[in-house]
Amino acid sequence: MIPLENFLLLSAVLFAFGFYGVLARRSAIQILMAVELMLAAVSINLVAFAAYTDADRFTGIVFAVFVITVAAAEVGLALGIVLRIYRERATANVDEASTLKW
Amino acid sequence: MLNRLPIPAQFDRIIVVGATIAVLGALPIAAVLIALLLLDELTAPEVVFWAVAALIVAGALGTVLLPNIVHAAVSLVATLLGVAGIYLLLGSEFLALVQLLVYGGGVTILLLFGLMLTRAADDPVIADGAQKPFAFGVAALIGGIFVAAVLDANWSQTDAAAIGIRDIGQRLFRDYGVPFEIASLVLLVALIGAIAIARSDQPEPEAAEAEEVTT
Repeated sequence: MIPLENFLLLSAVLFAFGFYGVLARRSAIQILMAVELMLAAVSINLVAFAAYTDADRFTGIVFAVFVITVAAAEVGLALGIVLRIYRERATANVDEASTLKW
Repeated sequence: MLNRLPIPAQFDRIIVVGATIAVLGALPIAAVLIALLLLDELTAPEVVFWAVAALIVAGALGTVLLPNIVHAAVSLVATLLGVAGIYLLLGSEFLALVQLLVYGGGVTILLLFGLMLTRAADDPVIADGAQKPFAFGVAALIGGIFVAAVLDANWSQTDAAAIGIRDIGQRLFRDYGVPFEIASLVLLVALIGAIAIARSDQPEPEAAEAEEVTT
């Protein structure tokens, strides 16, 4: 039997990688990919806790389903925004689209 | 042999090099895992777990470190397939299937569409920002805190048990019907918003010409 800690450690490492990607990358699409990594890490956590510590074994799975749903909506919307920024400015790098930065 | 395949010439090198690196990286891990399995140090699920974990970690590293954005996208696909394997190990086939469908099918295609439409694929080598060392420090700090917290805590745990697709369907629509409908509404609103944002204000030049021709 695989101990619960293994899943939690894997998810922590995955989250740290995704966090690094979000901070270090310039291209908006690569930032989106790193956000997907972080969301996957969170979903692993939820499902692992549901399987190991929840007598009901169900709530975490529902949360993971909703995480996947919202992630799909987020990618669609964010790519629409990226396409618009690219059309206006001919770049998809977030550090070159800083008009709103104070 | 590669010259006869109907693929662009630059694919040869990428495929050969990528496959070589992947095999060289996977072989020692597979050898160690099989040896431990034969020596009864590990059970079969544990072997699967470590193999999938290696796939996930390698794919995540590739996603955030590879300079070529298309290679990073392919690497992300490997990671997300590995996550589906983790769901299978945790006994929820339903989530594994959803992960394969939504991420392997939908999100990846969307990301690749985004790459092609923003012409990032023409000039795919994109440098990281100047904040890279700072980002590394913060990510290492957060990862270290999480790992320390996980190792420090004392988890009361039961055995993992599978939960069937029929159970999930019944309980999802009986107990979580309202959140389910709200989630579908969120998807609808997000997609309409994406269309409204990404649509151009001017009519397409081809469309305008076509109208002139018809009138």
